[in-house]
Amino acid sequence: MKKQMLMVALIMVLTFVTACSGGTSSPGASNGGTNSNEAQGGTTSPPAGSEDAEVELRIMWWGDQKRADITNEVLKLFQEEHPNIRIIGEFSPATGYFDKLNTQLASGTAADVFFLGGNVVDYATKDVLLDLEPYVGNELDLSDMDEAMIEYGTLGGNLVHVSAGANARGIVINERLFEEAGMPLPEDGWNWEDYARISNEIASKLDGVYGSYNFTVEGMDIYLKQNGKQLYDMENNQLGFEEADIVDWFNFWEETAQGGGIVTPELAVSHPQGDTSKSLVVTGQVAMGLIPSNQLAAHQSLTEDKLTMVQVPRGEKGTGVVFESSQGLSGYAKTEHPKEVAMLINFFINDPEAAKILGNDRGVPVTAQNRALLEQETDEVQQIVYDYTSRVSEATKTEPFNVSYNMPGNTEFTTLAEKSVQEIGFGRKSVEQAVTDFYSGTVRIFNSNKQES
Amino acid sequence: MRAAKRLKISQHNRTAYLFLLPWLIGFLGLTAGPMLGSLYLSLTKFDLLSPPTWIGLDNYRQIFTEDNTFSGSLWLTFTYVFLSVPLRLIFALLVAMALNKGIRALGIYRTVYYIPSLLGGSVAIAIVWRQIFDGEGAVNKLLGFFGITGPSWISHPDYIVYTIVTLSIWQFGSAMVIFLAGLKQVPGDLYEAAQMDGAGKIGQFFKITLPMLTPVIFFNLIMSMINSFQVFTPAFVIGDGRGGPLDATMFYTLYLYLQGFSYFNMGYAAALAWLMLLIIGGFTAILFLTSKFWVFYGDSKDGR
Repeated sequence: MKKQMLMVALIMVLTFVTACSGGTSSPGASNGGTNSNEAQGGTTSPPAGSEDAEVELRIMWWGDQKRADITNEVLKLFQEEHPNIRIIGEFSPATGYFDKLNTQLASGTAADVFFLGGNVVDYATKDVLLDLEPYVGNELDLSDMDEAMIEYGTLGGNLVHVSAGANARGIVINERLFEEAGMPLPEDGWNWEDYARISNEIASKLDGVYGSYNFTVEGMDIYLKQNGKQLYDMENNQLGFEEADIVDWFNFWEETAQGGGIVTPELAVSHPQGDTSKSLVVTGQVAMGLIPSNQLAAHQSLTEDKLTMVQVPRGEKGTGVVFESSQGLSGYAKTEHPKEVAMLINFFINDPEAAKILGNDRGVPVTAQNRALLEQETDEVQQIVYDYTSRVSEATKTEPFNVSYNMPGNTEFTTLAEKSVQEIGFGRKSVEQAVTDFYSGTVRIFNSNKQES
Repeated sequence: MRAAKRLKISQHNRTAYLFLLPWLIGFLGLTAGPMLGSLYLSLTKFDLLSPPTWIGLDNYRQIFTEDNTFSGSLWLTFTYVFLSVPLRLIFALLVAMALNKGIRALGIYRTVYYIPSLLGGSVAIAIVWRQIFDGEGAVNKLLGFFGITGPSWISHPDYIVYTIVTLSIWQFGSAMVIFLAGLKQVPGDLYEAAQMDGAGKIGQFFKITLPMLTPVIFFNLIMSMINSFQVFTPAFVIGDGRGGPLDATMFYTLYLYLQGFSYFNMGYAAALAWLMLLIIGGFTAILFLTSKFWVFYGDSKDGR
């Protein structure tokens, strides 16, 4: 009995060893190895171009379960149309997504297609993104896409990113709280003074309710643009602001917080604005916050309170908000099937059925045709989003602003910025001190991450 | 005679090495190789995706002269180690002594108390911990019952480290099982003799149990310390995964991870890793050097 067991164990070990060596002789046949439903080990990858051979693509995105469900549905649809292509979808929550992506990129096992946001710059400069230019007009049809969107995805002269949706950031409003407080809803064209006043007023009228989230970090670029600056000046490859330009912004939030209108730092830590499922706007404890327009539906689906969106309070030069790409698709430079990658990206942005399933979850569709399609069958929430984004588009005609790319080293920068806000919030540093440290830290991060050109 | 013996020994050794081979291959290929690789990387600027460029000791210079987060995270990690290791060991010893009273169904208790050790490092438990210590979590509900308004344990920078320390104490199981085995080794006649001489329970504990247990304590101490220095999962999950709030969960390993995988500074992270190795090595060496003064091996001839 024991002998038999030993034999079985030996055989298993031997098969394992041979399977491994088989894997190394045909690199790329099994990339990643994290998926249970992978192609059988040992099959050699088909020569590029042969139509009937089985091709396997991996795609990775971030988001919640709802987004995963609809994305998987679209992937299924794509596979039905292209039976020779097998798609493996991977997703993770936004936190951790980029760490995972970085690790996979470093080990050469990244998905063939992955989603990126405004941090696409960080990846474009590291030569890990596939140049999609050769496929435009063939597999990848961009004829119906807005010119500005194509430009957005063209970095360093290469088309490396195809936007999958457009959005504009704005102030989300919990209407019920305003009704209870007996206050009129804010309207477009208000300014930051109004914002502070309304925040404090609603907090003083309602018990246990705060006026607004503290969005010093999320709104920083908007504020800078309102004053003719910006976070990251991509054209000149330098920071777009100085320490003096940002002090007032930090002061504004600290003063409003003194007035009681802003969520306490503890609550902001345990219920971050960016996490829809925990957002205090949804639970009716905070009246206002800054969100990207495509997130309104996700917020609304979690609450009975009616939500709406108004434009960001104005500064000197306007609202500083642009209707721009919220996120998009990029191919992996080392993919073995670039043509299929282009086909998949094309399907995502052009296919009407896919557009119907995806809706506005990642933002308003980027092709005019699909936008028209979705506008036909819109519900109340989507109507608010369309209204809002068209108001923003309208406004930028008279008051144009640059689109916002994240600066190089964005993750580290965001962490630093949030820490600075907390240092003020928890009373560890004065505003002046925190801003000085914040700015010197920003300069250091920028310099160590910027590309020498 | 002597030569024959030596031959026999060398044959013995050969067999031993043969059996060691799989481990040796693993050690050289999977541990030593990557370690040397990281030593090289620690002397380069490496952004994960482009080839590394040699910068000598610049990473180390930057760590010691410019990096406030480094000293902060080191300090936090020390705090954590010096709090959690003794507390966990004391707790484990107390439970082991309670279980050593000859109660029935010892196996069940032992298993039940051991389970947290298996689960403790997992993400799932860290999430449960988050819920328990949340502002409106179980702990604050309980405190509220007694009329105390508890702080928001996991979102205030002053308290969150204690939440993580309690999680570490709760994983006392493996230390407890080893203590239990150690306690069973203490000869019963020592206690009998002490009792005859009129020693009280407390006296017995300090004069017999503790000295007899020192080898086990030594072992547990080293293992716990090494583990605690490398705390990652609770910091990542209970905190916000970015070291927040206010770097209160910026443990050393988390900082290293962020530098390497989020901030694209893999060379810098490798340098941090080597410093961690030196620190842990240093502490372990200190423990070994001092061990001869306080660890008592009962089986040696002259008490040492």
